[in-house]
Amino acid sequence: MDVVIQILASGLTMGAMYAISTIGLALVYGSLNMLNMSHGALLALGGYVCYFAMSHLGLHPALGLAAAMLVCGVVGLGIYYVAAQPMLKSANFETQIFIATIGIGAIIENVILRLFGPQPTPQPLNLSGAVVIGTVHIPNQNLLILGVALALMAALAYLLQRTRLGRAIRATAQNREAAQLMGVRVGIVYAQVLALSGALAAISGVMVSSLSSLLPNMGGDPMLKAFIICVVAGLGNVYGAVGAAIVLGILEALAAYVLGVRYSFAILLLLVIAVLIWRPYGLFGRRQVVRL
Amino acid sequence: MSALLSLENITTGYGAQNVLHGVSLEIAEGGLTAIIGPNGHGKTTLLRAISGLMPLRSGSISLGGLSIGGLRPDEVVDAGIVHVPQGDMLFPEMTVLENLQMGAYLPAAAAEAPRRLEQVFALLPKLKDRRAQIASTLSGGERRMVGIGRGLMAGGRLLMLDEPSLGLAPIVIDQIYDVVSELAAAGQSILVVEENAARVADKAALIALLDNGELVWSGAGPELMARPEILETYLGA
Repeated sequence: MDVVIQILASGLTMGAMYAISTIGLALVYGSLNMLNMSHGALLALGGYVCYFAMSHLGLHPALGLAAAMLVCGVVGLGIYYVAAQPMLKSANFETQIFIATIGIGAIIENVILRLFGPQPTPQPLNLSGAVVIGTVHIPNQNLLILGVALALMAALAYLLQRTRLGRAIRATAQNREAAQLMGVRVGIVYAQVLALSGALAAISGVMVSSLSSLLPNMGGDPMLKAFIICVVAGLGNVYGAVGAAIVLGILEALAAYVLGVRYSFAILLLLVIAVLIWRPYGLFGRRQVVRL
Repeated sequence: MSALLSLENITTGYGAQNVLHGVSLEIAEGGLTAIIGPNGHGKTTLLRAISGLMPLRSGSISLGGLSIGGLRPDEVVDAGIVHVPQGDMLFPEMTVLENLQMGAYLPAAAAEAPRRLEQVFALLPKLKDRRAQIASTLSGGERRMVGIGRGLMAGGRLLMLDEPSLGLAPIVIDQIYDVVSELAAAGQSILVVEENAARVADKAALIALLDNGELVWSGAGPELMARPEILETYLGA
């Protein structure tokens, strides 16, 4: 029983963390067909901004998180106007923006490296202590991550379903031209989506670094997993991505317990391959019609 | 009679190819105007040029005397031209109601949305029964109704319908055109693009024939039906 609780607790934490890093990626792909390869670097940037705001400026943790969201949101906006918008009309937009954002990610990581150095740094936004259930210890930080993930998902669902901006985002994602004919300014919607995705990346980065530590390239692993989760769920499907993230988190914890940590990622990839053979467009994805 | 929409010498196209070669047309306020012509001769392109989806290469467009050429699509909607595109282009994962509400996205239309929704449901009662249904699960005829209803939610001065009969069974086409006639009779200005002249001949106040990107004939419906040589030359009917 204790083992089950332990696996569920660490699996849910991992899943929740994956979910936070995945929704930003899924949102951008769903709206623009843009695979933002700098998402991982934005994670790291968010983690470092929070660290800087708290340790060097002495700000309250909530303000540190807010600063991280603001900076990453602005960078996301910058990515739209500098890279995505000029390429949007191109027939090869998906390939071009893929490569361009790899470059942007490298720039962001190197800026972080120059400013903060290559050494691992602890994330000051961190709860100590743990909740004890029987013989199982669940660190408070894990509970915080779960709570933040749940709150974020509720907020995002509210935004997408109930607000004018959310309706515009969904309409643009489902049919860009029809959205334009309804009076939606798709360029503005895209910019807002990238800013939002940047802010989400910041939260994700703070959470990820609070469990391990800050490193300039810390975004690589969560980005890779977020990408895998997006592919499994069906690229661009935000709700599917959240579900897939939680399931994969628990499966990874289970595999780590049964077979050992070194096999957990391999098992994860094996599962992904199996899913993609069975459903090439993802679990919740639609068959994509490729337009010429 | 002053024109509601006037097109002057419109040229547009894709790449090196011009699709429209200087189209001029005046549409009066109220009632139904139809643009007919064979497929691939620029009817859809003309509507796309009017709604700002395609940039003009030359010429000008004005609505009620105000120049709207070169505006963005959202500005054209705001000015009062609503384009119901070919093949529905609904938001497939939204419900019928959400689709209709998207039609009233702009602030001016949003303020009127509850009243217009009542009107749309009165005109298309089937949509009221189906309002919670996801758009992609509707039948072709129902989707067309949602498309028209969504266009009406914007409350435009001019409603442009691109081939509302496309791909539908004859009985459903009749239903769609009954709705179009009802709207026109109620004073809504409508510009409809249609391939089959017979469907609009008795309803449209003005019919314009577009062939190879040029306006080759325009006049009243009965006048057109009395000219079999025109129908045969351009429409193969």
